[in-house]
Amino acid sequence: MTTVTAGNHERIDAAEQNLVLSTLEPDQLAEAKKQHVPRRRLKGAELAVLWALRVYLLFMIAVVVYQAVAGAR
Amino acid sequence: MNLFSRPAVQPEVVITHEDVDRAHDRARVVEARARHSMFSRLRLLWLLVGPGILVMLGENDGPSMLSYAATGAKFGIGFFLPFIVLTFAMAVVVQEMTVRLGAATHRGHAELIFERFGPFWGWFSMIDLGIGNFLTLITEFIAIRAGLGFFGVPAWAAVLASLALLYTALMTHRYWTWERITLAVAAFNLVFIPVAIFSHPDWHSVRHALAGWKPLPGGLNKDTLLIVLADIGATVTPWMLFFQQSATVDKGLTKRDVRFGRLDTVLGAALAATAAVATVIATTPLFIHHMSAENYQAAEFAQALEPLIGRVGASLFALGIVEAGMVACVTISISSAYAFGEVASRPHSLNLPIGQGKAFYSIIFLLAALAASIVLIPGLPLVYVVLVVNVIAVLAMPPALVFLFMLVNDKELMAEMVSPRWANAIATAVVVFLTAAGVLFGISVVAPNLFAALGGK
Repeated sequence: MTTVTAGNHERIDAAEQNLVLSTLEPDQLAEAKKQHVPRRRLKGAELAVLWALRVYLLFMIAVVVYQAVAGAR
Repeated sequence: MNLFSRPAVQPEVVITHEDVDRAHDRARVVEARARHSMFSRLRLLWLLVGPGILVMLGENDGPSMLSYAATGAKFGIGFFLPFIVLTFAMAVVVQEMTVRLGAATHRGHAELIFERFGPFWGWFSMIDLGIGNFLTLITEFIAIRAGLGFFGVPAWAAVLASLALLYTALMTHRYWTWERITLAVAAFNLVFIPVAIFSHPDWHSVRHALAGWKPLPGGLNKDTLLIVLADIGATVTPWMLFFQQSATVDKGLTKRDVRFGRLDTVLGAALAATAAVATVIATTPLFIHHMSAENYQAAEFAQALEPLIGRVGASLFALGIVEAGMVACVTISISSAYAFGEVASRPHSLNLPIGQGKAFYSIIFLLAALAASIVLIPGLPLVYVVLVVNVIAVLAMPPALVFLFMLVNDKELMAEMVSPRWANAIATAVVVFLTAAGVLFGISVVAPNLFAALGGK
């Protein structure tokens, strides 16, 4: 037996409730998205790639800023 | 089965206004799918397209069109026409993954990164997106201001009019209506096709350029690398990943719709690539006539083109730049608002009434207003800002792609929709290509002598 409740103190009539239940997948409901997705444990190689790209990005941003300042002079 | 699979019968279900709006849209999809006539298939396509076309035409934004215009004016068509087509092919590969992720998980991109990899990596990703989006938003207002400047509209009036239009589009509080209005405006991006025709191109040369691949004019140097990076940045950027996945979720696409989501993305890429190629062709007469296009904004491009393509052609060019900036203002602001809502666990949908989506709509309004006000600062080097922003977008792409790559290969999330090997091979090639292009640019700036020794100039 499913109990249907209207969220945010809204008035949602029975026809609309049925429409929602018949057309949307259970995890498509706005309330269902409040359920957290379990955290994934990152492997050593994945962490290494993420850190390498982070360092790459910071270095390249510094290069672009240098280029922008040099270009402005 | 994936992490989100739930039993069909739930003990308690909470339904909101957002769900009802989405259910109405989905009911039409269900109805169209139940029929098997040709008309029903076309109707199904019409109902399911949207995020892909919008993201691709949205990325043909103000700075992108100015980059394509600068490309045609400085380098002609030889190398760049096939190159631009290649960059859109890369965009399709990348964006298709966001369709699958959105349809399989019904979660936005920011939300998945935060929850799956934790807040440490999540914040890094958000900072990249936030900075990139805000800088890009500034350049959209630069484009709008410059485009309307061609018609003598003062900067403050151009900025105010664009803000008013952005706010009006959001007042519908309905994803479907917003999507159709924005699609109608985005279709105006194809105005660059008649502009190209007005420039009386040598179609034989265009065919030749597309079929063969000529070397980079002037060889590999800092200037050509900057324009190459700007053209890549005009096609693949981090906001697109966040926007298309969140829009796919907001539209309510499911695993059954992925095929149409792919079609939507390919269709969008084809339209956007056509507009991009047309822009390069349109400004190529400036290259042929050796007219300097250094530091051109939209108005200057239109003015320089006027003797060659006429008043109508030049006006269409300027209007096209305005449209490009306007559509991207909408999509980029919304991509930021989706990401904020997902990370802050606040309601985030274009189906939300203002009362329930205060945080969501406030982010869109505030970001747009702030970016618009920056554009009014006198003496800002607008053209340089545009190029630099595109380059930053390319540099931020590899880290964003690796998160996407890891998510789309996560069997717990994706189950049977996990990426096939061939898609992973192409995605890896795209990451390597973008990273290498960024590194080459870095070397050309920091160590030009070493760059020359490597074969550049």
